[in-house]
Order: sequence, then C-alpha cells, then structure tokens
Amino acid sequence: MTVKSFPRGGVHPREFKESTAGSPIREIPLAPELVVPLSQHLGAPCEPAVKVGERVLAGQKIGDCQAFISAPIHSPVSGIVKAIEPRPTMTGAMMNSMVIVPDAEQESVPPVEKRDWQALDVDEIRNIVRAAGIVGLGGAAFPASVKITPPKDKPIDTVIINGCECEPFLTCDHAIMLARPDDLIEATRLVMKVVGASKGYIGIETNKADAIKLLEEKLKGEPDISVVSCEVMYPQGAEKQLIKAVVNREVPPGMLPSEVGAIVHNVGTALAMLDAVTDGRPMTSRVVTVTGAVNQPGNIEVPIGTPVEHLLKHCGGFKGDPGKVILGGPMTGWAINDLTAPVQKGTSGVVVLSREYIDTNPIVACVRCGKCVEVCPMGLMPNLLGIYGERGMYDKAEKWNAMDCFECGACAYVCPSKRIMVEWVRQTKQAVNAKRRQQREAKA
Amino acid sequence: MTESKLLLTPPPHLKQGDAIMHAMRDVILALIPVTAVAFYFYGLNAVAIWVLCVGGAILTELVVRPLLGKKPEIGNLSSVVTGWLLALCFSATTAWWTAVLGAVLAVGVAKELMGGLGWNWFNPALFGRIVPVVFYPLFGWLGTALGSARISFAMPDVISQATPLAMLKGYGMAGAPSLTEMLTFYPAGGALAEISAGAVILGGLFLIVRKHISWRIPAAMIATVLVLSAVLGAPPVHHVLAGGLLLAAFFMATDWVTAPVTPNGRLLYGVAIGVLVVLFRLYGGSPEGVGYSVLLMNPAARWIDRMTRPKVFGQA
Repeated sequence: MTVKSFPRGGVHPREFKESTAGSPIREIPLAPELVVPLSQHLGAPCEPAVKVGERVLAGQKIGDCQAFISAPIHSPVSGIVKAIEPRPTMTGAMMNSMVIVPDAEQESVPPVEKRDWQALDVDEIRNIVRAAGIVGLGGAAFPASVKITPPKDKPIDTVIINGCECEPFLTCDHAIMLARPDDLIEATRLVMKVVGASKGYIGIETNKADAIKLLEEKLKGEPDISVVSCEVMYPQGAEKQLIKAVVNREVPPGMLPSEVGAIVHNVGTALAMLDAVTDGRPMTSRVVTVTGAVNQPGNIEVPIGTPVEHLLKHCGGFKGDPGKVILGGPMTGWAINDLTAPVQKGTSGVVVLSREYIDTNPIVACVRCGKCVEVCPMGLMPNLLGIYGERGMYDKAEKWNAMDCFECGACAYVCPSKRIMVEWVRQTKQAVNAKRRQQREAKA
Repeated sequence: MTESKLLLTPPPHLKQGDAIMHAMRDVILALIPVTAVAFYFYGLNAVAIWVLCVGGAILTELVVRPLLGKKPEIGNLSSVVTGWLLALCFSATTAWWTAVLGAVLAVGVAKELMGGLGWNWFNPALFGRIVPVVFYPLFGWLGTALGSARISFAMPDVISQATPLAMLKGYGMAGAPSLTEMLTFYPAGGALAEISAGAVILGGLFLIVRKHISWRIPAAMIATVLVLSAVLGAPPVHHVLAGGLLLAAFFMATDWVTAPVTPNGRLLYGVAIGVLVVLFRLYGGSPEGVGYSVLLMNPAARWIDRMTRPKVFGQA
C-alpha cells in the first residue's frame, strides 16, 4: 500500500480518537428550543423567509439570499418561530438567528419523488444543491453549489473526496464512511458528473484502516474511483495539501483548486449532495462528534440549531473539570463559553478539553527557534507573521504572505513561546481585506 | 448559560508540550557530560568557574530586568544556559573577575539591553567571552587591579601542556594528540568544553534527536571545516575535534535567537561560519577563531532569513 502525503511541514498531534472511533451514529431527543443562525456559511447572510409566530414545517425554507456565494437555510423541525434575534454562535459572535420551538407533530414538507441523478442534467443538479442549502461540512462551510460550478475556462478532471479527518478527536467522517460506503461511492460519481471529471479519489488517513479496506473492496474493478491512503499527518485534510498528496498538483497562491483541474469535497458534504438530489433532503442535520471530557462520547446525528448544552446533556455531561468547550476540531475550532450556541452546518465536533490538556504557559517573545518554519505546510514564515501581526504591521505581514495562510495552526502548535500566530494572522487578514475593499471602492 | 470558567483562548487548542524552559532543560542535560568530564579533570577550579558564570548570569538577570522594569524570568532557564555555556568557554585558570565580567556582559548587555531573550543579536555567552578580549583596553584596568586574584584551588598539573590547536599552529602534526585522545579526554588546559570532543558530540546529538536544534547548522559547519582545511593542507579531523568547534557547532551556532530559521539559511550560515573558522585558524594571529566566526555571522542571521525565504506552496 503506498501512503501519500503533502511534501513539507505538518505536525503529529496526539489523536484522541479512541473514545469515539468506530462507534455507530446515534440520535438524541429533540431540544426544547432550536436556534438556527441565518448565516452558517462563508458568503452573504440570509434574510428570514418566515415571520415570528408562524408555524414552520421540517425542511421548510426559512432563510434565503440571492447572492451567488450563499446558501439558504431550512427548518430542521416543525414548530413555531418564537423569535428572530441575535444569538451567540460558534465563533462567539452574535448572529441573527431563527428561534424555533418544536411541536409534537413533527410534520415535514411533502417529500419529493425519488430522483435518479443520472437522468438529471448538470444545471438541475446544481440548482437542487443550491436550494438544499448545502455547505462544506468539513468546517469552512463554503457553499457547495459554488464549488460544483467552476469557471467555464477551468476544466475539472479530478474529484477528491476528503475522508482524511486529520483533526484530533473528530471521528464523524470516519463514522459516515463506515455507515454509508455505497452511498459515498455514488455521491462521488454524482460530483464527478456535475463537474465533468473522469476520475474520482477518496483520500483517507491510514488511521482509518477499516474505512480504507471497506471502500477498496467495494471499488474493486471500478477504475473510475480510487481510494488513496494518506499518511496520518496534520493538516492532511487541508484542500491544497490533499490535492498535492493525491494527484501531485500544486494550487498556486491565491487560486482555487479549479486552477489545477480539481475539486475537493468532504465526505459528509458529498453525501448531503446525494441526499438532496435523490431524496430532496435539505441540509437540516449533520453528524457531530461529541467527545473529550464527556461521560458518553459518540457521533450524534443532530438537527442544525440544537444548542450545545442540550447536546452535552444527552452525552452524559462534563466528565471532571472542563477547561474548554471547542466547536469544531481542537486545531482550528472555536472555544466558546456560552453553551446556548447551536450546532450549525459547519460544526463537526463538540470537543470538551479537560484542563490537563490545556497549555497555560504565558505568551512570550519569539525566540527564533524556527520550528514554525519547519512545520508550515504552506512554506510561510509564521515567526514573522506573528511578530508583524502582533504589532499591527499588517503591510509587512501581507508582504510575507499572510494571505496564503489557511490558519491550520501547526505553527502555534509547536511554538515554545506559545505565540498565537493564527490569531494574529486573522487580524492581519481582516485589516488587509478592509484595505483592499477601500481601494476597490476608491477606484469605483 | 455562560460558563465563566471555560477558557476562550484562540486556536490551536492543543499544543505540543514544550515551552522554552523544557528546551533549556534539555540543553542543560546535553551539557552535563562534557561538564562532568571537565570537573573531573580540572577539579574545583573548573567548578568555581562554573559557579561564577552561572551564578553571575542569574544574579545579572535578577538585577538588570527589574532596572528595565521587567520581571526576572529565571524559571525559563535561559540565563542558566547562558552562564553554563560561558563557563565552558573559559579555561580552569581564568581569573575569577573575568568569569564574572563575562556573565554580566552576556546576560546584562548582550541579552537584556538588547530587549531580552528573543531580541538579542549576538550569542550572549560568546559575547561575554569575546568582548573582554576584543575590548581589552576597556576592561584592562580590572585586570591590573584584580589580575593576580586567580582561583587557587590545587591545580592538576595536566594544564602545563599546549592546547591541540596551539600545537597544530606551532608544530604541525608532530605535536598533535591522537584522535582517540581528543575524542575521549584530553585535558590540555584549553576551554573547559575542549576536554572531550566525544562528550560534546553526545550532547549535540541529544539535542538533534530531541528536535531542539536542526542538524543543518552543525552538519554544514563541520563539513565545511573538514573540506576546507583538507583543501588548504591542514589536518581536517583534528580541526573538527580540536578547540571550540564542536561546542560552537552544536551549542552556539545553533542558538535559536541568533541563527537563521530557514532550512537553506541554516546551511548557508553553517558553511559561512565554517569558512571563517578555517581562515581564522590557518591565517589569523591566534590559534582559535571559532568565537569570532560565530559572532561575526550572528548579525547576518536575520538577513540570511530574508535571502533564503522558503518557496510558498504552489509558487512557480
């Protein structure tokens, strides 16, 4: 078995996947109140499509937006819209949200007739994916309909389904691959059809040997899709790194994967597209890994909008003294302290980090050990990005390629001075983007 | 429901355990073998030099940082390492005031006045060792006042020999010790660290295995000295094992703050120091030039970083 990887950088954090790996996907009772943010994706936020006091059905569209880069929002349950108001979300920011109280009937919008995706034309599929509100489930929450609509002058020959799940603790993609291997293969073919690719790959880190074996067996004698074993190395599942590992193509700085004829979708996103196209199912739930210092860790299929506190309660509550509650993975996720924040489309995990794993050393000056330079998968110099970002020298940070950083956090993970490079790069990006916007407006 | 005790610090939420203190602790572990050999052969004199340097370094930090309005950070062990490395650069017959002056200059001037750990441009230990030599007129009066005040524990008589480098310089290979002697123990009275090349290499390899230093700088430095001295007709292996080369290659030139951080920059830096060492030794006025070579290249480190900026992923 050849094992592939990206060529430079990367780190090996402890995996912490034992407690949930291989555990089947389970469900929990409905929360008494769901909070559905009107922006759960990269791009323009949605406008409410229903009013306070109105009854909504499960699967009914409750928010939409006409912008190209956006995705509509659907109600995960039937119930009454109690309020439309700003509520705390996974990033800690307040976001206009639809507060829905589920009713006893749990009535859905009438199901569509089962569709054969092979009979549909490509634009129809794109419209269905858009209407179903599907966004990337890996964490970045980029609208899937945009990804499967590459520029006309960029032919796509390769679809890569991302089953790396390189974040420690998370096992939801693993669980999905084990639960629905045939559907995943079909979903891969669906994406291949939409973008016109002749070859599909499913990239999986070797710590999920059972998933690799299962899919390889199913794909025996099927030359259009190959399973690619990837080295356990963070951030193997990053888009550009995975493309490099699987097909040895490098996406140039500032460009999208379509530049090299490839697109990448997370396993959950691919399956959500298949479900939308064949069953008409909008994105109203997702599988979340609830793990760490909780009494009953597991992979839970949760309606979008379920408050984290409800989810934690049904996973047995905190075990011991929790230090952090992280939405997403521990390398790139957000720490929250308001547990009313809901699970949204991009919430791959709820990781409760006990105090013993939290580094409390103070942030001190860079000692130029160079470890960040060694581990940066993008070939950047995080030491300088940190020094410039910390001091608000954003022009300098931009010159040293801050905009090419995708915030994997490998640098800050190894830093002996405990410097928070990711945070400083985010500040830099905000400042640079604001400056660029101003320049554009000045020109216009 | 806000859980106020939950921490909100930014990602990544997992960190590799090591803080600066852990790396410094490993440097100390790496220095123990050669220090032990030096203590064994040079006795209480060597111990006294070590105490003066390490103690002087700690005291300097305790005094200088508060003067600069900062809290001392003895716990990160940086001053201990600086003082320790400084001690290993002195011989057991060094005047006590020289050791103390070196420690004060190393921690007080080279490190704290430059802005503290991370901002220093020169390797503090080498700065403390070399500056009193280079600026002798500045410090000479101390010698006149205190010069005879040598540490006078009973000295083993091995120290009357010439150091291997002095022998090489004076007599060529005729008087040079065997490689085995140099690798194991050769108490010829040079700097404490020169007593055993093997012990220094052992410590250096430990730091590489523990990933605190990159192999690139020592490898480039040693390879350059080997090749260039051979080309110029000097005994290459002797030049690697003798003098301060190995201590510098593994512990000084690899000093985080004052060395380049890019992979190619580190190779270039090692090569440059190696070239300087050979030139100093073969054509300079004194037998040794390792300290000067490293100090000369220190200020170039940040510039070398810029010259050897890595290729950004996907860049043509």
